[in-house]
Amino acid sequence: MTRVMITGATTPIGASFVRRLAFDDAIEQVLALGLESDPGPELLELPKVVYRQIDLTRGRSLRDLLFTDVKQLGIEAVVHTAHHRRATDEGPRIHRLNVGVTRELMQLCQHHPTVRRFVHRSHGAVYKVKADQPAVIGEDHPLNLGPSTPQWIRDRVEADLMVCSQMGMCPMKVVVLRCAEVLAPRSGSQLYDYVSSRVCMRPLGYDPMINLLSLDDQVEALYRALVTEDAQGVFNIPGRDTLPLSELIHMMGRPDVPMPGVLLSPLYRLRGRLERREFRYDMNHWRFHFSGVLDGRRAKAVLGYEPSHPLRPTELAVHWHMGEDTIDLMRQQ
Amino acid sequence: MVKRETVTGLARRMLPDARLARLQDLQLLDAGHGYDPFGANREWIGFGAGLMRFLYEKWFRVTSHDAHHVPSSGAAILASNHSGTLPYDATMIWSDVLEHTSPPRLVRPVMDHFVPLLPIVGTFFARAGGVGGSRGNVRALLEAGELLLIFPEGTVGIGKPFRERYQLQRFRVGHAELAIRHRAPVVPVAVVGAEEQMPQLTRIQAGAKLFGAPYIPIPATLLPLPVHYHIYYGAPLNLHEDYRPEQADEPAVVREAADRVQAAVAGLITRGLEEREGVFR
Repeated sequence: MTRVMITGATTPIGASFVRRLAFDDAIEQVLALGLESDPGPELLELPKVVYRQIDLTRGRSLRDLLFTDVKQLGIEAVVHTAHHRRATDEGPRIHRLNVGVTRELMQLCQHHPTVRRFVHRSHGAVYKVKADQPAVIGEDHPLNLGPSTPQWIRDRVEADLMVCSQMGMCPMKVVVLRCAEVLAPRSGSQLYDYVSSRVCMRPLGYDPMINLLSLDDQVEALYRALVTEDAQGVFNIPGRDTLPLSELIHMMGRPDVPMPGVLLSPLYRLRGRLERREFRYDMNHWRFHFSGVLDGRRAKAVLGYEPSHPLRPTELAVHWHMGEDTIDLMRQQ
Repeated sequence: MVKRETVTGLARRMLPDARLARLQDLQLLDAGHGYDPFGANREWIGFGAGLMRFLYEKWFRVTSHDAHHVPSSGAAILASNHSGTLPYDATMIWSDVLEHTSPPRLVRPVMDHFVPLLPIVGTFFARAGGVGGSRGNVRALLEAGELLLIFPEGTVGIGKPFRERYQLQRFRVGHAELAIRHRAPVVPVAVVGAEEQMPQLTRIQAGAKLFGAPYIPIPATLLPLPVHYHIYYGAPLNLHEDYRPEQADEPAVVREAADRVQAAVAGLITRGLEEREGVFR
């Protein structure tokens, strides 16, 4: 696949992927889609990249784009990464972007004259994490579709299942990547918001294992899904870093404050309201108690993907305007 | 949880240098930060070994028999009788295998689903190698070539009344199914002594559901009695040589295989009871 369209191209993940493709000799053309009218020179000045501003929730605009620009450019593969990132936003408009757009894009691509591959970036949060479930999560793990599941997760599960339902049913090759959380700013990462707070509170007596994906590995996984001939199916994409929650807090140089679990929900709700933060304890309740680590063996076997880039806490810490002393200390570690 | 440096310091205080050095040879998959994907960690294992040392050497004075039957590498299942109201038998087998294998092997005790729900305890067990008893967890561990400890009697075994000591409850079949499917040998294990350590007065159902446990045991003694533990390991049963992997789905086959394991454990118990000189000696 040498001609690629990417949705969500102005997000950190989308932009990094566009950059990677732009400098890849095997790629001829990249059509980058974003909501912003001016994505900045970082994207506009890249070789081989054509940028289009589009509100994906407008069905007519999406249809027009698919059957004009996409057709004319001979786009062969679509990489769909656009989801609403803020977990605190809910409602039908958000659902429309997360699920409706995915459905529509999928339907349009199915009978498109040039598109032959559809890569959907899903999320590890679609899996249910509980005490009686395996700590190492395979692709057949139960999904998180309970009635109390927040919309942020429910939408992702619905979109994921909808894309999965088309595998083998349409002429395109369909790949779903269930990715571990990317710990990066503006990527919708709950844990990034959590560890960027001055104090990290967590449930007393529990210290679950978590897995985190670096931006570099996320880009590599998307690339593998794009270029691996005949690859189709669902793949877990774990990151290089598997560690207890307390170690992550320690690594980020934050005070670790274990507290009785019942206090955490109201405290984080209050914090969310006062500081307009994205972290929602109700969304992370189970994974703050029980381990959930993605098993990436299928991605390794089929896509040849293996995580190799660990997180770089010093770079992340810069975003929090940490003191130089703290950053020096972390560099030494 | 406690910081790793603190844990390392405590392990150094509790264990002699030679044992601590031996633990450096422990085979443990490192998923990147010194932990395996289930949360087991070398420093915590050292700390656990230090904590158990007093119980293992002084309190229960464990005598190990035929530990050479424990495979030095590759996937295997230790199937043991289970007793004593509280699972000291699991911790003593864990310590015994660590002590008598070279290089030391970590036993991964398969715990009931309610154990990870317990604050502190669940986390500590995970750091020491314990895993929740879901099918996915045991499958992943066997595929990774780990050594599992399974009590096929389940909670029925550990909770049985004192008058039924050394009478094995009927083995469940899960361990046999796993052994056949994953081509792993089953090492029968008998713990003699644990059945008398903590006679159970009664059990309470109320409140147990809060943390998913089947009941709360009320033992006759606050601490376990200082019984003499004998741990016997039998010759590995290579069930996979007698059954094909696809037969792991056949109820009659796995029942038959589980009965073979139960008979082997019962034989070791009989031997242990004949050989021991007394409950405390």
